[in-house]
Amino acid sequence: MSEVVIEGVTKKFGKTVVLDNVSLKISAKEYFVLLGPSGSGKSTLLRLIAGLEDITDGSIYIGDRKVNDLLPKERNVAMVFQNYALYPHMNVFDNIALPLRVRGRSKEDTTRKVRAVSETLHIYGLLEKKPKQISGGEQQRVALARALVRDPTVFLLDEPLSNLDAKLRVEARAFLKKLQKELGITTIFVTHDQAEATTIATRMAVLNKGSITQVDDPYELYARPNDVFTAGFVGSPSMNLVHGTARRVGSGWEFHNEDLNVELGGKKLESEGEVIMGVRPEQIAVEKGGGGLMGSVSYLELLGSISYVTVNVGSTALIVQLTGRPDMEIGDTARVRFRPEGILLFDTRTGRRIDLAKV
Amino acid sequence: MKGLKVLKGEIGWLKKNGLQVLLVVVLTLVCAVYLFPIYWTVVTSLKTNSEVFSRPPIFFPSSFTLSNFYTSADVFRAVSQTAVGSVPWMIDSTIIAVVATLVSTFLIAAPAAYALVRYIRSSWLARLILFMTMIPEAVFVVPFFIIVAKISLLNTWWGLILVYISFSAPFSTWLLMGFFNDVPKSVEEAAQIDGLSPYQIFYRISLRLVTPGIIAALILSFISCWNELLYALVITYSPFPAGAQTVPLFLTSFIIVEKSFAWGGLAAAGIFTMLPTLIMGIYAQRYLARGLTLGSVKG
Repeated sequence: MSEVVIEGVTKKFGKTVVLDNVSLKISAKEYFVLLGPSGSGKSTLLRLIAGLEDITDGSIYIGDRKVNDLLPKERNVAMVFQNYALYPHMNVFDNIALPLRVRGRSKEDTTRKVRAVSETLHIYGLLEKKPKQISGGEQQRVALARALVRDPTVFLLDEPLSNLDAKLRVEARAFLKKLQKELGITTIFVTHDQAEATTIATRMAVLNKGSITQVDDPYELYARPNDVFTAGFVGSPSMNLVHGTARRVGSGWEFHNEDLNVELGGKKLESEGEVIMGVRPEQIAVEKGGGGLMGSVSYLELLGSISYVTVNVGSTALIVQLTGRPDMEIGDTARVRFRPEGILLFDTRTGRRIDLAKV
Repeated sequence: MKGLKVLKGEIGWLKKNGLQVLLVVVLTLVCAVYLFPIYWTVVTSLKTNSEVFSRPPIFFPSSFTLSNFYTSADVFRAVSQTAVGSVPWMIDSTIIAVVATLVSTFLIAAPAAYALVRYIRSSWLARLILFMTMIPEAVFVVPFFIIVAKISLLNTWWGLILVYISFSAPFSTWLLMGFFNDVPKSVEEAAQIDGLSPYQIFYRISLRLVTPGIIAALILSFISCWNELLYALVITYSPFPAGAQTVPLFLTSFIIVEKSFAWGGLAAAGIFTMLPTLIMGIYAQRYLARGLTLGSVKG
């Protein structure tokens, strides 16, 4: 089991810069997730690690070997593709056995390993079938089996769950996490689905336009995003992001725009100026009735145990999370209150989070 | 009242399925136009000589004969061949078409198409190959005759095989490029990570995935070699059994210069000639129409 180190990696396709000076250290046995919207370069980074693309600049190490100039097969990495990429003309057994056969393993050895891995993945009964005769979930397990059968040092997964239906996806997610824990293989998982990322990752990196915005564990990423992009991308529904200014009021500080005046609750900034305020939906309280910061309910989303209420304060729309059934309806007047500890401020110009000090 | 209701129902049905009905009518007509020559050949081969030449033509003959297939009876007594006599020519044709087809498909077209799709990716080279398939074959008759004569292959299997390869290889390459293009790249990348060399990926993965394309190329190439007349006429010109002569040349022997055609014998031999290509054509359409990589990628 090896660690993966990425040092100043840049990848260009022609003149388009897909990855710009990316550095990352993934520890051995870690379940690491690369999260980002499409076009952020996350899949390209995975393909660089796999050796399917050439590196324009920088270095990649797997274990203590620099792998820049090694062929994919020399890196001993395994990869599962979004569409599984099974060999359609071979049955499941041959699909899984191929990596061993091309490495010249003996027939008995191959059969034994294929049987063992297919038992682990519960596909033992499918070995004689062709890929098109089995379901999407089963195809995915076959792809996993083919990747795992030769004991790779690094396991690369490129959006492996996105072709599964919702229920199966949740199952597969849990299964993958359990499997990774059992096998203890360094795993790098690419996804654009932040919920998927936060549920499985031990650590994750968020990518935007070819650069890493933040590397952290899922909770830190959620609670203390480094910049506006990460704040908006991680979490569903998104963090409320409101443009305005931070200013001194008396002995304290407040966030201010044409609709809102929010006290920053004993926190202070270095200077007054334009900021973006970020507040998670669960960090806002809403009550029916007037008084204080007032708005009108414009949308209700009921999810069973929780619900989301959209409250328009002037032209500012805020999404608020409530527990249970809300006692309000669309059009009602409601009072909004921000929990001061849940307020984050970002620099409007750079997008970076502003660290708040106590007054 | 009831009748009117039924009529209304009928009109409604026609409105709903009008396009379908029109389609069936048109397709039936097209089918009839294409199938009539085959019908006519079959009927003519079975007609007695008096009926062959009768005017107006007889579409449904009253009496049948098999003499065109195995006796040498002929209205002019000038043609000694019968359909059965085509067998040695068939052997020549089979050897030439099979060798030319196998060589052009497996040794030239498949590797070339794969390289063009995955490695060279040159659109002008691909277009050049397409243009080569469009050049009328008559253009090359003289140069090919000179070349084949210079390398002393006139009247041999190899002379014709070389010429046929030069025609079927570009066509098969073009055909297979489309099929290779449809092979999902991720399947090849998976193979790359699994440890296969580029040659192994070609031979063990991609070539297998284009099997429908290979079958289509084999059959189309075979049919064109089998039916070819012009080059066979020029390159194997001396009388049988001089060296190598194909079935289309045999068919020309039913033409009696200055007099007429031995229609009955020609039709009978024509059926023999047509049969292998007809069977292959029916078999090939399935592969030409069929989708390619079912199962490898979830659509």
